[in-house]
Amino acid sequence: MPNPNNVVVVAEQLQGDLQQITQELLGAARGLAEKLGTGVSCFLLGHGITPLAERLIHSGADEVIVVDDPQLKEYTTLTYRRGVIAILEHLKTPPPIVLMGSTTIGRDLAPRIAAYMEVGLTADCTELDIGDYEHKGKADPTKVGTFNNILYAIRPSFGESLKARILGPWKKPQMATTRIGVMQALPLDKTRKGAVFTVAVKFEQEDFRVKVVKTARDVSTSVNLTEAKVIVSGGAGLGGPEGFDVVRDLASVFKDAVVGASRRAVDSGWIPYAHQVGQTGKTVRPDIYIALGISGAIQHRVGMANAKTIIAVNKDADAPIFKFAHYGIVGDLYQVAPLLKKELIKMAREKGVKAGA
Amino acid sequence: MLKVVVFIKQVPDTSSKAGVNPDGTIDRARAKRMLNPFDRYALQKAIEIKRQYGAEVTCVTMGPPPAVEVLVEAFEHGADYGILLTDKRLAASDTLATAYALHMVVRHIGAFDVILTGLQTTDGDTAQVGPQIAERLHIAQITYCEGLSISGTTLSARRVVEGGFQEMEVQLPVLITVANSATPLDYKRFGDVAAVKEFLRHPEEREKRIKIVSLDTIGADSARTGLVGSPTVVGKTWKLGEIGGSCVVFQGESMEREVSELIEKLKADGKGVEELINA
Repeated sequence: MPNPNNVVVVAEQLQGDLQQITQELLGAARGLAEKLGTGVSCFLLGHGITPLAERLIHSGADEVIVVDDPQLKEYTTLTYRRGVIAILEHLKTPPPIVLMGSTTIGRDLAPRIAAYMEVGLTADCTELDIGDYEHKGKADPTKVGTFNNILYAIRPSFGESLKARILGPWKKPQMATTRIGVMQALPLDKTRKGAVFTVAVKFEQEDFRVKVVKTARDVSTSVNLTEAKVIVSGGAGLGGPEGFDVVRDLASVFKDAVVGASRRAVDSGWIPYAHQVGQTGKTVRPDIYIALGISGAIQHRVGMANAKTIIAVNKDADAPIFKFAHYGIVGDLYQVAPLLKKELIKMAREKGVKAGA
Repeated sequence: MLKVVVFIKQVPDTSSKAGVNPDGTIDRARAKRMLNPFDRYALQKAIEIKRQYGAEVTCVTMGPPPAVEVLVEAFEHGADYGILLTDKRLAASDTLATAYALHMVVRHIGAFDVILTGLQTTDGDTAQVGPQIAERLHIAQITYCEGLSISGTTLSARRVVEGGFQEMEVQLPVLITVANSATPLDYKRFGDVAAVKEFLRHPEEREKRIKIVSLDTIGADSARTGLVGSPTVVGKTWKLGEIGGSCVVFQGESMEREVSELIEKLKADGKGVEELINA
């Protein structure tokens, strides 16, 4: 019988490929389990995926609970929902903590499980911890009390430049999703041993209301902002769609540059959404980020503040971007960008000459 | 005719300086208000369905009385009806409690075919409320939806997943959360803007189009909303604080000089910019 007191990770696999987020979640779960003095269980759902259980044990799981069923070959919300609920019901008592990824699957499935169980769920956590909490709020006397060893689910609230610790000690499981690439995966340990359990699931007709017609890989339409070494972005200061000609021209100087944009530029219809950097777009961390005519509102900042070198060009010396960029030029981007292009090429040539000599 | 329900939300406009404290926190009373940017995609999708297949579009929002502004904006884009759920007992609702209250609004409306929501909000940022409404209503959902078409009672949709997409079919009713990579926003207002202004002036007409409801009106249990009905609380917050703060700014009369000073500084700081240039 699986241990219902373990910290649970719901594994994610796509067509039999274990997703990186699962190893990250197992790493986070081990840290929590050690503080709680318990183990880590991993729920694994799919078809023909039982062999992946060993890999999950090597990545930090003590127990793997598998639902291997032909109906789970493709991910659909309702069939996977039924599978996770089947395991939770099999455990009899709800586990203390259930973790999932902030992926297109985790963000689809976790809220449904939480609503079904009537428990709390904290989205997109960047840190997880265990600690105590004393609730004194008078709104609901039934909640007052001191709670030990509960989940601290910590997430940024970008709109407000705050980091918040979210707590829900009253109901189990305490659920959270974590952002991709934030939690530390453990090195694979092939000597680790664990137990594998299987659970059968009984589907209902209503679980098949959604049919997957096709699953396809598609990279052609995506703009690879997240992996670019250099991003040159344009914002409201461009004044119109033709401004992006200047942005593209400057980007052409670099070996591996992608054009980015602020929400204002995208909302104005100057460039497609795929280029958008910021809270409602992509989060990027290139080596160089050049911002042309971008004021640097918080919603843009949260998407690019981790770039190694930020160079900002803006007419307004009071623009917030000059508070967090590394280098800034106060001036008209239409004058500055062509000059910058010329000087950057010159700089690289001089370096090349030196290296050649 | 299809019955479409769209959930929209009014959020603080963080791109405006109004109401933004020096430390980046928001003073909601002074902040400018706007329609959650993600919701524009849901609203646009609803209007597309209306134009293509014929539909009655009802927009639903929850918030304090000024949130009625987003319903007016929705009328200008072509929505037919608006419902504002406003009640002091909703304050501090987390996603589970919010989804409970909003699903009760749907029950109050009665029949529906498609529910549309934005992917997430810019203030809560969770993307949880849509799926939680679907769970409460016991219906199917398609999240991260880029495109859809409807034929009879079958809806076909394309859903974004990491590195690709899924094409799927579902029998109505369904809840859809619309991805930002859906059709680019079209800023034409498809509603009759003058007619909207006109009916807003006439209380009787206004009441036909905008319903303002409380928890009691929709028969919701206040023990399941607000702080009392929320399984989570915010225990503690910290300021994210300023990032960097040591920007080297070049400013003067000659752009040539500013640019060459920047280049010299980049060289001196050994940023390795040269390595990334085509030369």
